[in-house]
Amino acid sequence: MPRAPVWRWLVWGLVLAGVTLLLVQLRGRLDKAHITLVFLLVVLAGTLSGGRALGLVLGAISFLLFNWFLLPPYHTFALNDPLDWLVLVAFLIVSAVVAEILHRLRGEADAARRRAAEVDRFATLGAEALKVGRAEEALAAITDVVRAELELDRCRIHTSRVPDREGTSPADPLVTWTAEHGRVAILRADGTSRLTGTADLPEGRMDDALSVFLPLAVRESTIGVLELGARRPLDLSPAQLRFLTALAHYAALAVERARLEAEAGRIEVLQEADRLKDALLASVSHDLRTPLTTIKALAHEMAGGDERALAIEEEANRLNRMVANLLDLTRLKSGELGLHHEINAVDELIGALLQRVSGAFDGREITVRLEDGGTLLVGRFDLAQSLRILVNLVENAHKYSPAGTPVEIAVGRAGAFLSIAVADRGPGVPATEAGSIFEPFYRSPGALPDVGGAGLGLAIARQLARAQEGDVSYAARPGGGAIFTLTLPAAELPSE
Amino acid sequence: MPSPTLLVIDDEAQIRRVVRNAFKDAGARILEAATASQGIDLAAAERPDLIVLDLGLPDMPGVDVCREIRRWSVAPILVLSARHSDEEKVRLLDAGADDYVTKPFSTSELQARSRALLRRAQGRGPAGESRIEIGGLILDLTARSLTVDENPVHLTPIEWDLLREMMVNAGRTLTHQHLFGQVWRGRQFGNAQQYLRVYVAHLRRKIEVDSLRPRYIHTEPGVGYRFATAAEFAAQD
Repeated sequence: MPRAPVWRWLVWGLVLAGVTLLLVQLRGRLDKAHITLVFLLVVLAGTLSGGRALGLVLGAISFLLFNWFLLPPYHTFALNDPLDWLVLVAFLIVSAVVAEILHRLRGEADAARRRAAEVDRFATLGAEALKVGRAEEALAAITDVVRAELELDRCRIHTSRVPDREGTSPADPLVTWTAEHGRVAILRADGTSRLTGTADLPEGRMDDALSVFLPLAVRESTIGVLELGARRPLDLSPAQLRFLTALAHYAALAVERARLEAEAGRIEVLQEADRLKDALLASVSHDLRTPLTTIKALAHEMAGGDERALAIEEEANRLNRMVANLLDLTRLKSGELGLHHEINAVDELIGALLQRVSGAFDGREITVRLEDGGTLLVGRFDLAQSLRILVNLVENAHKYSPAGTPVEIAVGRAGAFLSIAVADRGPGVPATEAGSIFEPFYRSPGALPDVGGAGLGLAIARQLARAQEGDVSYAARPGGGAIFTLTLPAAELPSE
Repeated sequence: MPSPTLLVIDDEAQIRRVVRNAFKDAGARILEAATASQGIDLAAAERPDLIVLDLGLPDMPGVDVCREIRRWSVAPILVLSARHSDEEKVRLLDAGADDYVTKPFSTSELQARSRALLRRAQGRGPAGESRIEIGGLILDLTARSLTVDENPVHLTPIEWDLLREMMVNAGRTLTHQHLFGQVWRGRQFGNAQQYLRVYVAHLRRKIEVDSLRPRYIHTEPGVGYRFATAAEFAAQD
C-alpha cells in the first residue's frame, strides 16, 4: 500500500490538536471513558484515512496527550490513581490493534479487488479471442492486449514454425529453436541469448532480457511462438507473469483455432475438387462413347483388308477400355457401382471370359484347367464385374507374354473360396514392385512403351474383387512368369 | 429375305449414318428419326420390320419409347446403349425391347444382332409349331423330348421349361427375371430364383460340347441369356 502523503499527516495532527483542546475545555465534566472513546475514534478515522503508520503515531500521541492534559495531576506524566495506567495502557493497546486489523482488512480488500480486475481482464480477453470472426483476428487482438498491458514495444505470434508473414527476419533462429524444443528462449541486451530448460517464464528480472520467446502449446505439442520485445530490459511482476501465462494459453488456443479453420477450409476445397473431378470423368467418359462408335464403324466400313483402318478400329477399342476403366474407378470410389452378389456357376464365368477374349489377342492360345475333376463349382459373386476382373488379368497376361506361349487359367476351390489363377510366361513383377502394382496409375518403370493402358487395370480389379469379399493377388510363377489369382467366396448347392 | 424396312431412332446423325451403311448392302429400306416422338409416329405409319432405338434421346426415356411401341407393334426392337448400366438394360428388355448392343459396337455385331431379330420375326409362323431345330438340337414340343446330335437327352422338368423358353425365343436376350417368371410360374419354389444360373450351368453341360465354350446359350453378363439362332449357330463353324 502506498504511503499517505504528508498533508494528510498534518491534517490529522491538527484534528488531534483540536480534539485535545476541546477535551481540555470540557475536562471537568468528562469521565475517562468518554475521553478514551473520543481518542479511539480519532485513531480509527486516522487509520482508515492514512494507513497503519498514521494510526499508530496518532495512538501514541493521543496516549501522551491523554496523560499530560487530561489525567490529574495535569501537565505531568505522573498519575494520582494507579488504575489510570490501566486505562492508558488499554487505550494504547486497543488503538494499536485497531490500526493493525484495519490495515490487514484493507490489504485483503485491495488484493481481492486486484484479482477481480485481473479475472475481468482475462474474461474480456477470452471473449474477444473467441468471438471475433476469424481466428487470425483473435491472434491480433491477443497481441494488442499483451503489448498494451505489459507496455511492450513488440508482441508477435509466430505459427507453423516459421515467423509471421510480415516478420522482418525470415527465420529468427530463436523462434525456430523455441518452436522445436518447446522451451523459453531469451535474447539479452548485450546480444547474447539464453536457452532455458522450461516452458514457463522465469520470475523477476530476466537477465536484462530484450526479447522473450515463449512456446505456445496445445495438448503437449508446440504450435506457435509468442515473441515479446522491449527497448529497455523487461521486468515483469508476478502479477504480470501470471497475466502473461494466461494470455499465452489463450494465444495457443487461438493459434490452434486458426490452424483448424485453415485445415477445414482446405478439406472442403479438396472435397469439392474431388466431386467435380468425378462428375467430369463420368460425363466425359459417357460422351466419348458416341464418337468412338462412329470412328469404329467408319474404320470398319473402310477396312476391306486395309491394315490402317483395322488399326484405327483397334485403337478405338483401346480408348473405349480406358474410358470404361476411368468410369469404373469413379463409380467404385463413389460407391455407385451396385454389385449383385448372386449364386453363379464358375462354368458361366469362364465361358463368358473365353467368349470375350477369344480371337481378340492375335491367336494367343488360352487354356483352361478345371481342378476337382470337373465338379460344378459355384460361388456368390457379381458375374459381370468378376468377368471384367478376369478379362483384365488375361489382357495383361497377353500383353506381357512372349509370342507363342499360352495364357493358362486354372480353376479350383480352396476352403471357402474359389480361385481362378491366370498364369503367363512374361517377365513377372520384380519383388520391389509387387506391393505397388495394385495402386491406381502405377506403371512399372520398365514397362514397354507400346504396352499401353493407364495403369488402372489392376487397381480396379483388386477393388472390384474386394467389394465382393474376394481379392486379387500376385505370385511369381515357378520357371518364370506371373500368376494373378482372383479369389471369390464359394457357395454350397443344396442337395437335390 | 425380302428387303426389310428398318427404322433408326437416334439424335446423333453420325450414328444414324453408321446404321444406314451397315444395312446398305442388304438392300434394306432405312427410315430415320431424330427424336422419340418422330420415331413413334414413323413406327406407327410405316410398320417397320426392325426398330433400332438409341437410349440417349433428348425428349423421352428409352423405357417409355419401348413401352409405347410395344402397345401396338410386335416389331423387334434393338437398343443402342452407352453409359447405361445393366439394370437399365434389364428394364428395357422387360419393357419390350428384344436385344441390345453397347456403344461402341462393331458393325458386324450390329448386323448379326439385327439379322437374328429379323429372321426370328419372319419365322414367327402360326402358333403351335411342334418342333424347333437349332444346330444339332431338336426339341420336340409335343413329345417333350430333346435330341442332341441325334442322341436323346433326359431333362428335368425345370431344365425342359428353361430350354423351351430359350429356344422359342432364340435371338432375343432374355432377362433373368423373364426366365424366372416363365419357368417357375405356378411352381412351388423356395429360394429357387437364386439357383437359376446353376440350372443353366447344368443345362449347358447336357447340350453343349464344351460347357466352357458354349455355342447355344450365350451369357449376357449382368442381364440374362441369349440362345443362338440357327443361322448364328451355323455361322460359328
